[in-house]
Amino acid sequence: MSDGLVQILDGNTFVVSDSNGDIEASPTDATGLFTYDTRFLSKWVLTINGERLNALSVDDLQYFETRFFLVPGTGTVYIDAKLSVIRRRAVGNGFHEELTILNHENEPVELTVRLDAASDFADLFEVKDALAKKGRYSAQVDKRKLVLSYDRSTYGRSTAISASEKAQIDETGLTFKITVPGHGTWSTTLDVSIARLMVGQAPGAPEAPQHAQRRMRRDLDRWLDGAPKLQCDWDALRATYHRSLVDLAALRFSPPIAGGRSLPAAGLPWFMAMFGRDSILTSLQALPFAPELAATTLRALGDWQGVGIDDFRDEDPGRILHEMRYGELTAFEERPHSPYYGSADATPLYVVLLDEYELWTGDRAIVRELEMEARAALDWIDQYADLQHNGYISYQRRNEDTGLENQCWKDSWDSISFHDGRLPGFPRATCELQGYAYDAKLRGARLARLAWKDEELATRLEREAADLKRRFNRDFWVEDGQYFALALDPHGAQVDSLTSNNGHLLWSGIVDKSKAKAVARHLLGPRLFSGWGVRTLAEGEGRYNPIGYHVGTVWPFDNSFIAWGLRRYGFKEEAAAVAAGILEAAEFFDGRLPEAFGGYERGETRYPVQYPTACSPQAWSTGAPLLLLRTMLGLEPEGEHLIVDPALPDTIGHLELLDIPGRWGRIDAFGRGRVDVGRQRTRRR
Amino acid sequence: MSPGRTSAFFERLAQREYDPMLRNAVGTARFEITDKDSTERWLVTIDKGAISVSRRNARAETIVRGDRKTFDKAAAGRLNVMAAVLRGEIVISGDPRFLVQLQRLIPRPSGGP
Repeated sequence: MSDGLVQILDGNTFVVSDSNGDIEASPTDATGLFTYDTRFLSKWVLTINGERLNALSVDDLQYFETRFFLVPGTGTVYIDAKLSVIRRRAVGNGFHEELTILNHENEPVELTVRLDAASDFADLFEVKDALAKKGRYSAQVDKRKLVLSYDRSTYGRSTAISASEKAQIDETGLTFKITVPGHGTWSTTLDVSIARLMVGQAPGAPEAPQHAQRRMRRDLDRWLDGAPKLQCDWDALRATYHRSLVDLAALRFSPPIAGGRSLPAAGLPWFMAMFGRDSILTSLQALPFAPELAATTLRALGDWQGVGIDDFRDEDPGRILHEMRYGELTAFEERPHSPYYGSADATPLYVVLLDEYELWTGDRAIVRELEMEARAALDWIDQYADLQHNGYISYQRRNEDTGLENQCWKDSWDSISFHDGRLPGFPRATCELQGYAYDAKLRGARLARLAWKDEELATRLEREAADLKRRFNRDFWVEDGQYFALALDPHGAQVDSLTSNNGHLLWSGIVDKSKAKAVARHLLGPRLFSGWGVRTLAEGEGRYNPIGYHVGTVWPFDNSFIAWGLRRYGFKEEAAAVAAGILEAAEFFDGRLPEAFGGYERGETRYPVQYPTACSPQAWSTGAPLLLLRTMLGLEPEGEHLIVDPALPDTIGHLELLDIPGRWGRIDAFGRGRVDVGRQRTRRR
Repeated sequence: MSPGRTSAFFERLAQREYDPMLRNAVGTARFEITDKDSTERWLVTIDKGAISVSRRNARAETIVRGDRKTFDKAAAGRLNVMAAVLRGEIVISGDPRFLVQLQRLIPRPSGGP
């Protein structure tokens, strides 16, 4: 998000405005009121006597509520305010705004207060790609409200705008002719509501705005109360932790199929939607803090699991969805997101999450409930994902037009490249997919014994996992460089660049013990480790660019899983160094880690440079500090117990995480900082 | 009335009796298939995978309504139900999770829309 923009959100409804509270969207920016991937308001501009206002301050009261303090006149240094204006805005079904004008003079003033309103009903995809509309716009005015509409055959969306005070309403807005007494105030409420979304959706009485705000406040309090308490002598970490919990609460999203329960959406503004990969990884990160997210994610993704072959949507039986969208382009099948299944990692990761969730919570019932889904996911790995019949997951889109080329987390067009910069053909078998498949098979075997009573399946999965590990360590290992290749190309050749994916391999457990040390050395080495974190692509690779989306930037989420992987293989100090770098970077972003930041050497810039169009907040960046806390404290469920084995950077004196929920009830974990991360950083030279 | 694709779909469904894909689903849906001047109704009840189908016009917590052309396309695997709902061609009310579970029974195209 660009600077100066103010955003508030609730579920998948959000408002992005400038610091005056005004919205003046261009076809390509994501300001406005959005819900279900559609912009319901693209213009909302307040003037008094024809003049725009000037922002004095903005208070983010809650993630769903903001207050703007304004005075008339713009662009002047000297402000002699005879009036002040307060706009207090909260998201609900649309948004609710309380507009208050204070007269500071002795004499009454007559004012013309105007709100210009319009909606382009753009699909978020159109906003991203600047596409033209095919339907018809209309505006209806009656005494009490203005209704803006868009219709394209059976598809219709409407926004209704109304005020509590008497207004003259026309097709482009509302005008109030008012007199404010000396030292008096005038106020009105304004409601912008989603009047028509999906046809047939029971309209029902919309929740009163005061109720909605009380509900959201109560809900946030309950959420924060339910999370473990963090105490430590590093103030910034406490702030980051709090920020993460609040942002995760804001990014919870209740898809209409989840029965009011919520799972993490991906991120604001582009990805307030159900995403397989993002929801699964964020649920994993948050398991020690908010395990209920995982249960909803598993059920919602299970309900949408693929059942047949659909080339347009890249759907196969057993496949877990990549992305679900609700906008016009999806409705008219100009985009495949209803839902789209083009992800090669979400399906094995689904089994990983189910197992990890059971390990933490002991909730065996859900393992039985989702047995069919988990079995179908495991079958998908061998029956549908092995495109080359060589025992590896690989991907190649069947929807050549609007499908995704790269179906791994590094999904931009140039993310998968050889050392010399060439791009491999398709299908591509990226390395971390094999790690996830290995982990899914072993975890599936555990679940088969524990809850499905299927010894035959368990034995087969273990045999397949062992075979996969043996082949993988032979076929992907780059002998010269002593690391794992990024991928195999369609001819079985190694795509030989050095990448952060090596960290995910440690996390999955597929790495031979004898190779782990070399891998860890690379991850903390000068080509990958920037001092803040591990770069997506190593310095010295053909396509390396410190501000290239997946080819040199540092992704906090990526690093949190790398730290987990390092811990898994016993590299406690290295894990602590990664955690320290990312958590120190968080300080520069007021505790809110962006999706990605520049891969510049730490000593060069002294602060982490945010990637230009990164989403923020973004769910798996929000989850990163949580997973890093887990890895620093060495939290691992073991039977009915929680093992605590801290290895904290020495920049932290002491750290306590109290009331960690799980199958043990609630447990506290303590640690003291002993790992000399400065030494870790200098040793890598 | 000729037994069209849609009716054939429901009749096949009735013979299925049990589908493990729906073993977590519980609910009743009424499908209302509209023609110019008539409405054909099918009542589908799922109880943990057990399927019963009837023509009774009974109460249902979930309603799915659309015209015959739309339903025939769905029955033939030529319609993505979610997209049709977003377009307003199929109108739904009631329990959304149950509807998602039911859409797993709709045949998939093997090529695209």
